[in-house]
Amino acid sequence: MDIPKAGIPKGESVKQKLTLPPHPDRQLCRPIMETFREIVVNEANFVRKCISAESCQDDLWGKLVCTNFKVSFITHNSLPRQCTHRLLGEHDIPLACVEQVVTVNDVKGKQKILGSNQKLKFNPTELILYCKDFRIIRFRFDEAGPESAKKVCLAIAHYSHPADPQLLFGFEYVGKRYHGSTGERVNGVDPGGGMQTTLFDCSSDWDREIKRTGASEWRVCTINQGYFISPSLPEFFVVPVSLADQDLKQYACFFYSQRIPLWCWNHSSGSALVRMSNISDLQQQRKVEQRISSAITKSHPLRSDVFKSDLDKNLPNIQDIQAALLKLRQICVIDPFEESEEKWLSSLESSRWMEYVRTFLRHAVEVVYMLESRNVPVILLEKEDRDLSCVISCLVQLMCDPHCRSLHGFQGLIQKEWVMAGHRFLDRCNHLKKNDKEESPVFLLFLDCVWQLWNQYPAAFEFTEVYLTVLGDSMWVPIFSTFLFNCPRQRAENSRDFASSKSIHLGQDQALRFPPVWDWSQQFSLKDQTLFNNPLYVGKIATCVQNGTVKTFTHSSTLRGLPSALRNGSLGPNDTLARRNSLVLRLRSDLSQVREQQETPSERFIRDFFSRPVDLQGLLLPQLLPSHLSVWKLYFLRWVPEAQIPQGGPITAFHKLSVLTDEIDMLQNQLRQYKGAGGTPNNLHAEHSKMYFKATSTPHQPPAPPEYLSSSFPFSPVGNLCRPGILGSPLSKFLNGAKIWLSTETLANETI
Amino acid sequence: MEKSGSVDSVESLCSSTTTRSDRSSGTRVSDTELRSKGRAIEKVLQCKYTSKGELPLLPEELVQDSAKDVTYICPFVGPVRGSLTVTNYRLFFRCTDREPVFGLDLPLGVLSRVEKIGAATSRGDVSYGLACKDMRNLRFVHKEPEDSLKKSVFEVLMKFAFPVSNNMSLFAFEYKQVFPENGWRVYDPLAEYKRQGLPKESWRISKVNDHYELCDSYPAALVVPVTITDEELRRISSFRAKGRIPVLSWIHPESQAAVVRASQPMVGQNGRRCKEDEKLLQAIMDANAQSHKIFIFDARPSVNAAANKMKGGGYESEDAYQNAELVFLDIHNIHVMRESQRKLKEVVYPNIEDSHWLSNLESTHWLEHIKLILAGALRIADKVESGKTSVVVHCSDGWDRTPQLTSLALIMLDSHYRTIRGFQILLEKEWLSFGHRFQQRVGHGDKNHTDADRSPIFLQFIDCVWQMTRQFPAAFEFNEYFLITILDQLYSCLFGTFLCNSEQQRLKEEVPKHTVSLWSFVNSQLEEFVNPLYVHYPSHVLFPTVGIRHLQLWVTYYIRWNPRMRPQEPVHQRYKELLAKRAELQKRVEELQREAANRTASSSSERAGSPTRSITPVQTFV
Repeated sequence: MDIPKAGIPKGESVKQKLTLPPHPDRQLCRPIMETFREIVVNEANFVRKCISAESCQDDLWGKLVCTNFKVSFITHNSLPRQCTHRLLGEHDIPLACVEQVVTVNDVKGKQKILGSNQKLKFNPTELILYCKDFRIIRFRFDEAGPESAKKVCLAIAHYSHPADPQLLFGFEYVGKRYHGSTGERVNGVDPGGGMQTTLFDCSSDWDREIKRTGASEWRVCTINQGYFISPSLPEFFVVPVSLADQDLKQYACFFYSQRIPLWCWNHSSGSALVRMSNISDLQQQRKVEQRISSAITKSHPLRSDVFKSDLDKNLPNIQDIQAALLKLRQICVIDPFEESEEKWLSSLESSRWMEYVRTFLRHAVEVVYMLESRNVPVILLEKEDRDLSCVISCLVQLMCDPHCRSLHGFQGLIQKEWVMAGHRFLDRCNHLKKNDKEESPVFLLFLDCVWQLWNQYPAAFEFTEVYLTVLGDSMWVPIFSTFLFNCPRQRAENSRDFASSKSIHLGQDQALRFPPVWDWSQQFSLKDQTLFNNPLYVGKIATCVQNGTVKTFTHSSTLRGLPSALRNGSLGPNDTLARRNSLVLRLRSDLSQVREQQETPSERFIRDFFSRPVDLQGLLLPQLLPSHLSVWKLYFLRWVPEAQIPQGGPITAFHKLSVLTDEIDMLQNQLRQYKGAGGTPNNLHAEHSKMYFKATSTPHQPPAPPEYLSSSFPFSPVGNLCRPGILGSPLSKFLNGAKIWLSTETLANETI
Repeated sequence: MEKSGSVDSVESLCSSTTTRSDRSSGTRVSDTELRSKGRAIEKVLQCKYTSKGELPLLPEELVQDSAKDVTYICPFVGPVRGSLTVTNYRLFFRCTDREPVFGLDLPLGVLSRVEKIGAATSRGDVSYGLACKDMRNLRFVHKEPEDSLKKSVFEVLMKFAFPVSNNMSLFAFEYKQVFPENGWRVYDPLAEYKRQGLPKESWRISKVNDHYELCDSYPAALVVPVTITDEELRRISSFRAKGRIPVLSWIHPESQAAVVRASQPMVGQNGRRCKEDEKLLQAIMDANAQSHKIFIFDARPSVNAAANKMKGGGYESEDAYQNAELVFLDIHNIHVMRESQRKLKEVVYPNIEDSHWLSNLESTHWLEHIKLILAGALRIADKVESGKTSVVVHCSDGWDRTPQLTSLALIMLDSHYRTIRGFQILLEKEWLSFGHRFQQRVGHGDKNHTDADRSPIFLQFIDCVWQMTRQFPAAFEFNEYFLITILDQLYSCLFGTFLCNSEQQRLKEEVPKHTVSLWSFVNSQLEEFVNPLYVHYPSHVLFPTVGIRHLQLWVTYYIRWNPRMRPQEPVHQRYKELLAKRAELQKRVEELQREAANRTASSSSERAGSPTRSITPVQTFV
């Protein structure tokens, strides 16, 4: 496959185009970003985008365009939209997000799943795109020229299967910047100066992390500079001070992919969390393991022995996780809504997704117990140390370390434990669609685990569930350093090769500077980014004014135990005790049957935790009862019109909280003005407000939530798969159910 | 509040109790007392009780018996030894061998069954099983008294747990607490119909049932079309099951589409007709100029409705009722619901099975029933709101599924019923005055636990309301605690509200005279029950999403006994904290504004006094 060479773009006017006014009327469609080296590959006119399953009266007419970045549908009819994406219009799908391209000829009753470089023997009347973010989009070509319809379908199929990572749009996108006269900030890429997220790509970042966690017996190791020791490790990582570089070099060869064990984090008690791959040389296994363990022990203030946690034995593998997601998608968006109603719960169970979420959370809690209660260092053992360890290590830190629950702390955590530790994002996302066996939504599973924690302790996190959802979606916008590569070395090599093949002079840079996903202004306006800010968040040093003096606003313990009367009088949690058949009427009379069951120490630890008031700035453990984990509806059900709650859902509470938080912010600003600073003009507030929904000028008059709010906000299921939820009365919705167009229904079974 | 508990868990619970009590302390000490007892069914012992070791009693509550060395077999922690006290109102167990100290405190009304299990062991230990109406089962072990003449504490318990079966009166008739509010005055039918804006030209309030002669399970005040005479109503009453004729529940303020409730028509196998009944439905349709149709919602599955013809009942034929369209809503009968609740109890208590939780839950069909009820109500509300069409709702007798549907539809249609007082009016009207058989369905004080008339109909309704509060967190004035309080007091028999089967019975028993209304208690401390997120929009119709994906098990009610229950409502708590913070800041800003204004005033007067100074603009901060 060959991407046509682009002409030299026309200079600096790009940025203007990027920041189009978000007004929906004026924004008919997102223009093709020529100056980004985005090139139209093929297009077809008079295409109909299906909006409704039952009738075509709501369908949109327009032009279907395939570029080297996205599938675009350009239409003059616009649907209401709340949140605009800077790179993608409302009808756009990045090619990386296309999971499957299905062409149908309904006259001949034919269908074909298209891959790269394939032929199509019939003229398609219909194109269905199954997307990785759970959308399903359908176009009809009744009025389009049969040849151009065929061509555009083939182009979409071809370009969504890039043969080489360098054909991913990110390279063009970033490469562009080096052609500009000034070099910097052409695409608005912030070279890192303005970002507060630690990327952990230099040794000073690690030094700071060592200081922050008080890990004085650990040091930054630089032996992998230039990636000479291990191909999948970062250039800088942290090791026990007692291990000399010479020893490490010697041990490296015994580990899988020469991955020397990596320090993740230190508990405040001094216990370290370390991740380690398997030792490939069995003869050396004991010796090497012992050396490593004793070095970790030496770095512990109490010289405690190391606890090893074998993740491969206790957790589902990546194929299991992938299979679970496919089943979950089937029941969420592909099975007809009404027909799957009755079996929803058992289908959900048999997908095993929720079970896996729970297993990961539970395992992380076990590790937390070792660190927190037993005060021993923990090694996470995984064969390659590049998938399950990422999840567990992050969850442990999220539970223990409030810093990780701030926005920048969380982003730094993902940099540290995923990007730098070499999670194979390229393979797991299957951006090249080459090896389906390697595809696995490990990162999405992690996000779901975080969402469960967030859902149980919403005030403990600086970010919102919209943030988590958008972060998950960003995996499919292939321009971010975060999700494009399998490890830092691959990024360096690929970008070096790309640069030399395109005669790009990197100047001082060692490699192309891809924007990290954390540079959110690549995707969203500042206003839209405020949707990430959680109005409930109780920050570490959130201050409040009491009696004229500024005091630290500590979170009260009254959060828990409300209403106290609803709590059981019984002592401890232990759901492994009596089983269900201990119902009174079935009990035998002799007491000997009932003896005090043995509670494991970790169960006792959990029980103790739940009997204390929670400190949102301290340790957080999730409730692990299956009845207390929920489906992440915003992520999984946002595209299903029938599953939408018009003018309802958690967003309505979010709206009220935002407005109140904004009012408080406003009052605090006023106070600050009185306190000397004086000169700050009043109107600054509106611009700097951290809340998406702002206070009105008349406080005490609670503003009604805007009409457009729904449980899917800020996403809109309109135009995705089914009928628009906003049309028609709820009655027709209930009566008719969602007869998802039959052609796809049968298709889905054959193709997925 | 004294603190004696040395363990964190007890302290934390006590402190949260303290905050609750403090709000009304001083003015209503007795309420506070009551609240800490009345609302709780099982709870951690309040510290002040444990320190003194004595049981605080309600007015007129008397200790009947107590025993030491009773063992409570806690399903979560195993056997706990302690002492058991039985009063005429409650069962009180206090453990003596454990830290932290804990106990059980439950109203006897919550018990549905008390049973000796098996024979005594060689050591003379006897097991007792207590099945509760609130999803729990308790088990105790106790040594039989050696003196066979002396009654065991559990025999005393059996006597007081089922006063109706033992010819005694329910505790509600003894309880003489005085509250500042009188809950019996919450509902006045005439005022309520006036609030609805009943148009006099098309509807009238009939006195035909003033003495409950037309229908003994209906209220005295009935609203019917003006064109139908009382004589015709009498004839209709013989055509409708139990004489429950079609009468108005609610009328749309703009379209005048009406929600009408009834029981099934006595069509029978021969297709009996009643021309007055047909005329009545026509008159209901005519009273609404917006539509030339009327919808009849039969809550039952069509098979059940047809089967009722064998027993003389049935449903309206579209031949006889022109312009009427009949829709079946497929909601099952009280027996199916009872069975579903039984299965649910098995799944949620005491422990939750980890691996098959979701399929176990599905197999109870509980959420499916909830879904059908909500879906039916949604269809009714939609017909009235979007279709501007009047509807008639009935099931068989019109006192179980019918109030579930009408009251839920009314909550969707009329924001008044989403307020705390409005919701009370709704319950008083649709459930109590229209004769939902609370006595039979709950079985107050009756030991006959296998009674086929028991069924969790009202519980399902509250569950549906809870589902709606989840979907619309800012649309209801009340919080979850309000709903749980209603359910707890439904069983407790502390208040008179849910006693008897009909308005007529309650009058005969002089319930309002001899008992306290639950609303007296609730309305005397409204702040406990307020949802801080509530926004009142007068004309906002709620259409919930009834898909099973958006229904969830009410874990904070059904699984609340599990000690691993997650503390709820952090959002509400946080919101209240933020409100307090805002108030504080506002106060501070106002103070500073005043200071600044004073300063400005004084400085400008100074300047005025010194004419040599040039006049410069005064800098203000406001």
